[in-house]
Amino acid sequence: MATVIARLVCALILVFAAHFAGAADDSERALEQRVKAAYLYRFTEFIAWPDGAFAAADAPIVIAVAGASDGVAAELAQLTAGRTVGGRRIEVRRVTEAVLGARPVHLLFIPASERARIGQLARAAPKYAVLVTESEGALAQGSIINFVIVEGRVRFEVALAAAEKREVKLSARMLAVAQSVRSGP
Amino acid sequence: MLWRIGYSVRSKVLALMLASTLAALLVAGAALIAYDVRTHYERWASDLTTQAEILGGASIAALAFDDRRVARENLDLLRVRPQILAAAIYNTRGELFASYTQAGIPEREFPRPPFGSGVDVKDGDIEIFHRIVENQREQGTVYIRARYGLLGRIADYVSILGLVFGLSLLAAFVMSAWLQRAITRPIADMSQVARHVMESRDFSLRVKKTTRDEIGYLVDAFNDMLAEIGRRSQALLTADRMKDQFLATLAHELRNPLAPISNALHLLEAADGKPEVAAEARRMMARQVKQMVRLVDDLLDVSRITTGKLVLHRELVELRGVIENAVEIARPVIDSRGHRFTVELPPQEIYLTGDETRLAQVFSNLLNNAAKYTQPGGDMALRAEVAADEVRVTIADNGMGIAPDVLPRLFEMFTQGDAAVDRTVQSGLGVGLALSRHLVRMHGGSIEAFSAGVGRGSRFTVRLPIASRHDAAAPGASARDETRQPTQRILVVDDNQDFATSLAMILRDLGHEVRVEHDGIAGVAAAEAFQPRIAFVDIGMPGMSGYDVARTLRANTRTGAIVLVAITGFGQETDKLRTQEAGFDHHIVKPIDPATLPALLHEIASTAADRRTMDRTAR
Repeated sequence: MATVIARLVCALILVFAAHFAGAADDSERALEQRVKAAYLYRFTEFIAWPDGAFAAADAPIVIAVAGASDGVAAELAQLTAGRTVGGRRIEVRRVTEAVLGARPVHLLFIPASERARIGQLARAAPKYAVLVTESEGALAQGSIINFVIVEGRVRFEVALAAAEKREVKLSARMLAVAQSVRSGP
Repeated sequence: MLWRIGYSVRSKVLALMLASTLAALLVAGAALIAYDVRTHYERWASDLTTQAEILGGASIAALAFDDRRVARENLDLLRVRPQILAAAIYNTRGELFASYTQAGIPEREFPRPPFGSGVDVKDGDIEIFHRIVENQREQGTVYIRARYGLLGRIADYVSILGLVFGLSLLAAFVMSAWLQRAITRPIADMSQVARHVMESRDFSLRVKKTTRDEIGYLVDAFNDMLAEIGRRSQALLTADRMKDQFLATLAHELRNPLAPISNALHLLEAADGKPEVAAEARRMMARQVKQMVRLVDDLLDVSRITTGKLVLHRELVELRGVIENAVEIARPVIDSRGHRFTVELPPQEIYLTGDETRLAQVFSNLLNNAAKYTQPGGDMALRAEVAADEVRVTIADNGMGIAPDVLPRLFEMFTQGDAAVDRTVQSGLGVGLALSRHLVRMHGGSIEAFSAGVGRGSRFTVRLPIASRHDAAAPGASARDETRQPTQRILVVDDNQDFATSLAMILRDLGHEVRVEHDGIAGVAAAEAFQPRIAFVDIGMPGMSGYDVARTLRANTRTGAIVLVAITGFGQETDKLRTQEAGFDHHIVKPIDPATLPALLHEIASTAADRRTMDRTAR
């Protein structure tokens, strides 16, 4: 009987532990998305787009998030509400491949859930759009900035050649804090 | 050194230079330090602000992307600046993001950043909080703490100032050495000589002149003053010695006649029934009294000369009369010593403007001297000659002469030759020649002495200006023929019975009618009763003074026209003024030389005539 109870307790503890572990996993994910949203917003401060990237002097900086359901977009919208960078508002949009290219996009975040379509989205994206991804090997597929997790912290790596191709300049200060900078293709 | 400041100019100059140098350095040093404290702070503040700005700018991305490593790397670059002790970067929430502490410095807890930027100095360190702003957004805060080092800096300054002061001190010493040569040494020399002079009374010392500035001038003036003081003290000594000699001579000379007078008195007492003895005694007394009167007269003249109160009664006088007068006075001495004496005068009459009595005094002095300083039986000559507008009277003798060293100061007061060769001759006071020269000069003339040396005789020449013919024309004839005057009524009032009686006797002898009274009241009564033409009134009388007598007589119409003659022992101008104010016509100083009485009466008679004329015209 005692052993039954002990087993039961053990089982209960395991269930709870599993439950709590899952919960921790969820909250970690949310934190990561919040950090990434913040980084996306801050990237706009360190990226210089050519004049042709904007239709007007007060045209907004458009951050597009690919995919239908990613927490990053919501975080971003909340974070950038009412804020400006270099006198420009920040507009956050969810996009699909179909609408890409129709309207200007300055920063395109492709979450991990869309990793399969990176190459496709890269080709479809407007000329000045800076692709930000969070998938390993994304830089080889046309991404300029790729989030990585190093020692539990959100870092990013940069592909300079891709940025040059899209005629955008990344601040040296940003490059200084990049995990790695690739200058070749 | 300080304790010597009060004692020498040199140390004063040195102290002055040091004090001014020190004051200038202190002021300059204080100003420099004050300025540096300010600029030190400003420099540090701006330096740290720049540093923080650069650090912040470099760390924006690190803050943005939460890269503490990069931020720390940025901070680590500060190790090249050892003054910076610690630094930190805070994120926007005020949490410590990255920090740096210089190696070897103990770690300290970093402070919470304040709201905003600011520089603060505390515990010898300077701290700055600088907000990083980019895109109008606060990105974080940079904190830097550095060693402020103000005290050390001030200490550096003070030590530099100390060094400068030391060098200045050295320079001041060098300059004071130079100054000493240029300024203080001449002064020191002068004060040293002054001290020597004061100690030794040696006025022949002189300060050497080394500079041509004010001090050189001072040295010259000082030397001149020394010379002048030397001359004066010498002159004072000489004068003092002469005066001592004079006093001794005076006492001796005044004492001399007293012995024969005393003897004569004894003779008189013992001369009962021997008229020739009494007569001889009287003659002896008369001679001695005359000598004393002469001495005292000389004394009075000396006093008048030294006080500048010798007055001449100028009139037109004929030279022959003056010479005759002088010869008459000197005759007894000349004859007593058995000299051969010749007088040679020009044939024409020579008139001079001057005081007859004084001129006679001059020549009689010279004749007396010639007689006295010539061995008995010598030769004497007086010779007058006219040269242009002056007359030259030369008195020569073949006596003992004058030593060449005495000659230059022969005419100075109290100078006297060696005692007369013959003890029987009165040697006098040594004022005769000085008086003579003074009188001659007052007459516009000059006097000179010549002698070939001791034992070779002497020669005195007096030059006097001749009065012009115009002046000479009038009085000539009338002046001399009134020697014999008509009989006058004369009243003598004097409480000194001897004087009054003797004067009355002399006047009676001259043929006048004389009445004598011995006090003022009786005198006034007598004047009214007796109705004299002339009244001799003594001033100092008991009861009624001479002044009162004169006023009373003048106030009475019956006695108002009497010629009043004051007789007094006082001969100063103020005395004369007083008698004149009281109503006197004349002022005679006692004693009266009987020989001068006729001339005096003549003069009085003429003023009396004037007076009557004036009275008549007044009425």
